[in-house]
Amino acid sequence: MDNGHHFIRTWFVALCALAGLVVALNLLVDPYDVFGTRRIAGLSLLKPGAKNHALLTKTYQEARAHPVTVLIGSSSTHIGIDAAAPEWPGPMRPVYNYGIPGGAGVSMRLDTLREAIFNGPLKNAVVFLDFQDFFSINRPGDGRSEDDRRYHLLPDGRPNPDRALQIANDMFLSLATMGSLVDSLKTIALQRDPTLLNLAPDGSSNEADFSNAFRTDGMHDLFAQKDDYEVERAERLRRSMAGWQGALPDLNVVRAIIALARANHVKLTLVLTPHHADALEIYWRMGLWPRIEQLKTELAGLVAEQGGDVPLWDFLNYDAFNTEGVPAAEDRRTPTQWYWEPSHFKKQLGAIVIQRMFGTDAPRFGAVLTPENVGAVNQLVRDHRQSRVCGHERPALLTSLARPLPDGCAMPAMARGPT
Amino acid sequence: MLFNSYSFIFGFLPAVLIGFYVLGSRRRDWALLWLTAASLLFYAWWRPINVLLIAPSILINYSLARALEQTGEAKPAFARTILIAGIVFNLCFLGYFKYLNFAESALNDAFGTGFVLTQLILPLGISFITFQKIAFLVDVQAGRVSRFSLADYGLFVLFFPQLIAGPIVHYREMMPQFRAVPCRYDPENVAVGISLFFFGLAKKVILADPMSQLVAPLYARAAAGGAQSMTEAWIAALGFTLQIYFDFSGYSDMALGLARFFGIKLPVNFNSPLQATSIIDFWLRWHVSLTRFLTAYIYNPLTLNLTRKRLAAGKPIFGGRNTSVPAFLNLLAMPTILTMLVSGIWHGAGYTYILWGLLHGVLLCINHAWRLIRPRIWPNAKVYSARMAPVGFLLTFLSVVAAMVMFRAPTLSATLMLWKGMVGAYGVTLPAAVFSRLGPIAGWLSAIGVQPAWTSGSLLLTAVVRIGCLLAIALLMPNTLRMLAAFEPAIGVKPDRTPSRVARLFTWAPDGAWALGLACIALAGILSLGQLSEFLYWQF
Repeated sequence: MDNGHHFIRTWFVALCALAGLVVALNLLVDPYDVFGTRRIAGLSLLKPGAKNHALLTKTYQEARAHPVTVLIGSSSTHIGIDAAAPEWPGPMRPVYNYGIPGGAGVSMRLDTLREAIFNGPLKNAVVFLDFQDFFSINRPGDGRSEDDRRYHLLPDGRPNPDRALQIANDMFLSLATMGSLVDSLKTIALQRDPTLLNLAPDGSSNEADFSNAFRTDGMHDLFAQKDDYEVERAERLRRSMAGWQGALPDLNVVRAIIALARANHVKLTLVLTPHHADALEIYWRMGLWPRIEQLKTELAGLVAEQGGDVPLWDFLNYDAFNTEGVPAAEDRRTPTQWYWEPSHFKKQLGAIVIQRMFGTDAPRFGAVLTPENVGAVNQLVRDHRQSRVCGHERPALLTSLARPLPDGCAMPAMARGPT
Repeated sequence: MLFNSYSFIFGFLPAVLIGFYVLGSRRRDWALLWLTAASLLFYAWWRPINVLLIAPSILINYSLARALEQTGEAKPAFARTILIAGIVFNLCFLGYFKYLNFAESALNDAFGTGFVLTQLILPLGISFITFQKIAFLVDVQAGRVSRFSLADYGLFVLFFPQLIAGPIVHYREMMPQFRAVPCRYDPENVAVGISLFFFGLAKKVILADPMSQLVAPLYARAAAGGAQSMTEAWIAALGFTLQIYFDFSGYSDMALGLARFFGIKLPVNFNSPLQATSIIDFWLRWHVSLTRFLTAYIYNPLTLNLTRKRLAAGKPIFGGRNTSVPAFLNLLAMPTILTMLVSGIWHGAGYTYILWGLLHGVLLCINHAWRLIRPRIWPNAKVYSARMAPVGFLLTFLSVVAAMVMFRAPTLSATLMLWKGMVGAYGVTLPAAVFSRLGPIAGWLSAIGVQPAWTSGSLLLTAVVRIGCLLAIALLMPNTLRMLAAFEPAIGVKPDRTPSRVARLFTWAPDGAWALGLACIALAGILSLGQLSEFLYWQF
């Protein structure tokens, strides 16, 4: 075949040229913000592709950001706390939001805090804790994930020998894969979309996912869908905790977080993440509220045992913010003010949380827990529930659960008392 | 080593090709020896112990074949004994590694015995290699193969493009090619090889693998006892059918392309089976080399033997339209079901595979019976073909898709859950987000029982679009064999005399346009290699 040589040569040259173009494009657009390429308006200012690679993106962003304050948490922190909010006191800036969507588990908080401290020069860390993370006794496997291999240090503080290979892998996957090419092209094509999801260089999200979902489905559907999910999760956690005695799982990890911060002279603040009353009601009605009270009691004791210089903020209450009503199913236009859905609060509430913890003149909202006041706080929450939920005339908090939960206006008996 | 891995594409393959061409330019036998050594390395890459398991088996089979060749016609009874010993040895070898655990577990289930199941290392491609070795022994005993050396036999068994997942080749179609191949760089072979390999890679990593992410959770949910709505059950069934279709089609193309780099043509193994208009037609297009093996070495001998027995007993035998029911059952149905039972067992050690094989056996019998009955009901064959081909296609397609659920589902109960879901036993749902956008149609859907559910609307849309695109490719486009027919991509493939317009549009030629197009396809395939995934047929 006379054309065989020509075909092979053309094919090979075209393949190499195209591959080079793909690498150059991915480097220029930097869809996951791994390389820190300068963001260009109209081309790469917004980074929608980072949505599905949050831990990858944030590990590199945080290392470049050199924040004074880091926010550690899950998706609720990622969505609801703005690192650039004016409520942050001057000495605490710059702030980096290291909240990881899908980042469940207290261990991940410890890992990300260790990484942030390594990157330095950190002065403050605000660690948001989700109460659900303490009710699972199914520990992850021993194998280290791709994300773990990216950190500078191993959990025992030794240098991570796998990091160099993982970094090479990250570079390769960000430059020469179909996923990165598609995300680069999407990044360019969608820059003019005003509803585009973005991950800012300070790790904050612009909430576009939720605002888009609200525009298409309405607040009721957002709440209803998450309520169903939360019921399933609560059921799973209830099974997981059945028969569990003694201190709650993962309290040792919180102890390690406090020790790590203290050893590195980082001022630590612990926060029990705010949840909408829908979520609290689900756990109350499924008999897990005693576990939540146990968590608050044990955390307060733990903090005091570690010296008492770490404030432990509790926002798990029935208050004016989280008992806001949810629009009816047919109303797809009325927004809620404070919550996107039961587990994710809006930046407006996030601003109040920041103000309450670090500012002055904030509404009375949440409380700092100590061993001395935790009993009273727990009682106060029960009272608030009684006044804001039980016997109240306004529509039920839970919007449209697939399986209705029994009314729980009487305090359920504790399966096992706090120890 | 996976064909769809960076190490294979950028390391192993170029190194083997360069070595082959350089050595081949000096001495052919060096090049072939290099190819055998490279194939051993390919086989050992995953688990080096595989070589220790397969090498003695090759030596024993070679010795038996030598003995058969020397005994030959002089002592037919002794030769037959050697052949039976060889077949038993190979089946025991396969049985020990692949079926021991299943047999023990079945005995435990049936009789409450207490066999402790142990994890055995299953040598890669053992089912394919075993069938190939059995076929070789039978061919030697029948005198169809002669004049072979250990090097020849080693290359025949180990040739890496077909080592792990077929096609199941015959010695007599491979060795003449190895003896004649010049072992030098040939631009036509390389151009055709590149095209076949990268078409196959794209099918695997761009078309098949993403489907797996879509259907795996649905099968997992069925296995956990979760009911599936009609929508989800059909996505699971169609999605897996298309996943395995493009997975196997992609593998087969890659195997053809790899062999072609060395100047070797493999037999056709996959020929647009979803376009089949009957289940018989399906098995002539799906895993062709396995069908060929089972027909030649199980079905035909069995039918011949049974026919002889019936003749000896004075009973009627197969007689076309006038075949009696007992003759049909005895001479066609029973051998067919037995052959398909073997096919099911060959695919995997599990009840679902066995029942899948039996189900296809029954479907084949129905198809054969219809072929016997049809001329009485509808004598005009031409009109029948023209009018009923679409019906035949639809019935075949639905049967294949339903049977694929059994092939994929981990348990029988999961299969039943999905089948019930497919017929609407668990209702019909649509994601609430989709439902709420349908306006008045939502009301009509509600009236006929369609309900909203909190499932992902975008996931449903993705599934529908993907399934639609893949179906269009599978059903409407010419396959790679047809596209490259002018260059005989597989043994015996010739160009159509009167190609359709679509076929002409997709006819491959070694020109600049195809080189550019193929560069794009190759790049898309290579860029999609990020997530490694095994070929589904490698597990067999």
